Amino acid sequence: MGIIIAVISGKGGVGKTTTTANVGLGIAMNEKRCVVVDFDIGQRNLDMILGLENRVVYDMVQVMDEEVGLKQALIKSKMNPNLFFLAASQTKDKSVLDSKKILKLVTSLSEDFDFVILDAPAGIETGYEHTIEFADRAIVVVNPEVSSIRDADRAIGILDSKSQKVKDGGEVLKYLIINRINPKMVQSGEMLSSEDILEILSIPLIGKIPEDRGIIDASNQGKPIILDPSSGAGRAYVRIAARLCGEQVAMENVELPENGFMQKIKEMFQ
Amino acid sequence: MQTKQFSVKVFEAVITDEDEFIAFFDKNYIFFREHLISVSGLVTQRITHYLNEKELRFVVDVNLPRSKGKKSTPSPIQELTQEEEKIPALEEPKQPEQKVHDNLRVIDTLVRSGQELKVAGDLLLLNRVNSGGTIDIDGNLIITQIVEGSIRCRGNFMMLKASPKANIVFHDVEVDNTYLQERLNRVELIDNEIRITPVLKETSWV
Repeated sequence: MGIIIAVISGKGGVGKTTTTANVGLGIAMNEKRCVVVDFDIGQRNLDMILGLENRVVYDMVQVMDEEVGLKQALIKSKMNPNLFFLAASQTKDKSVLDSKKILKLVTSLSEDFDFVILDAPAGIETGYEHTIEFADRAIVVVNPEVSSIRDADRAIGILDSKSQKVKDGGEVLKYLIINRINPKMVQSGEMLSSEDILEILSIPLIGKIPEDRGIIDASNQGKPIILDPSSGAGRAYVRIAARLCGEQVAMENVELPENGFMQKIKEMFQ
Repeated sequence: MQTKQFSVKVFEAVITDEDEFIAFFDKNYIFFREHLISVSGLVTQRITHYLNEKELRFVVDVNLPRSKGKKSTPSPIQELTQEEEKIPALEEPKQPEQKVHDNLRVIDTLVRSGQELKVAGDLLLLNRVNSGGTIDIDGNLIITQIVEGSIRCRGNFMMLKASPKANIVFHDVEVDNTYLQERLNRVELIDNEIRITPVLKETSWV
């Protein structure tokens, strides 16, 4: 049985979908079979970020309604043979989700894959509740700012009360990713420090991702930033994926500005 | 108009024997110099003269308002004359009645945004209250970590750390949290006035 991980944030626009794509690809690069599922029904984006926009034929809702088989709807990534993708429906809305059907879907996915990664919709509505319902673990993505932290806090609270694992007396393991860290702003005290965020949310940290200009272009091109070894954010996702696969990787301090010679030259041309 | 509220200690005596009363006061009047003495029963001229002579402030046959729950000590004079050392204990200010007994909950999980913790008794919370979290409590409350959410407390007291982002309402009165210092603070409602007293000696388990 594979591990079902929900990627949640509460607030929208903090980088949930980008994280899902990069972490999913990173796990596949670690020779693990991984499937990423877009649960953001009606507002899917994961297909674009993975560069699979034009290959979506069937979606998750059609699989749940047994109109098509699971194998037909799964899309194999061009970038890595271990990575598969299941699209959300763009024409339906979140009301089509149903607990029994979701359980059946995620169970059959976890039989085939080592990792099943669910990209939750923003907010804490039924779409979110259905995403976390059968998750074994959760990746919480936050930005170092108060509104993101508070929304994530609320999302964790719902996760701790509404997921099936908690109802059965267990616990959903949670990992924190702090995204879009701007080293200069952290140094000058304008951004919340990681210590403050960890104290508020009190869940274990699995990685910090520096703000990176390359991410927008990577998303537009449909090539996740993890494929770019020159990107700080890309390298951070490589470390996070390795940690998720059970490797011990030391935390790197992305809050210190890079002071290398190349950095200075780069800054001169910016 | 200028008004002021304050508490006084009252010593109450029902006199049945003139000589017994005077003999008791001869021994003990030093303890009652800061007290208001309320006498009733057999208050003779000799007694009023005696009390005036000792410069003690007293009232005769006045029905003073008092908080519920304070047990009247039967024949206090007799008891006091026998055991003088008990006097300070008997004269402690009247404590508000304990609303709940043996009803303490100890919680060490953090209160997250959107969560509401409702407690009927007392609560000792060993974790933080995050922004958007709420504690609603009828009893007394001690929180050892920072509070960023809101608190509604209707107990006798609260103990809190400095919590500049918190919204604290104590008995329907909003507490000005700029008065909370960087240590545990005791918040009490005394005579309809909120009193915030920093706890000077740090508790080692916090």
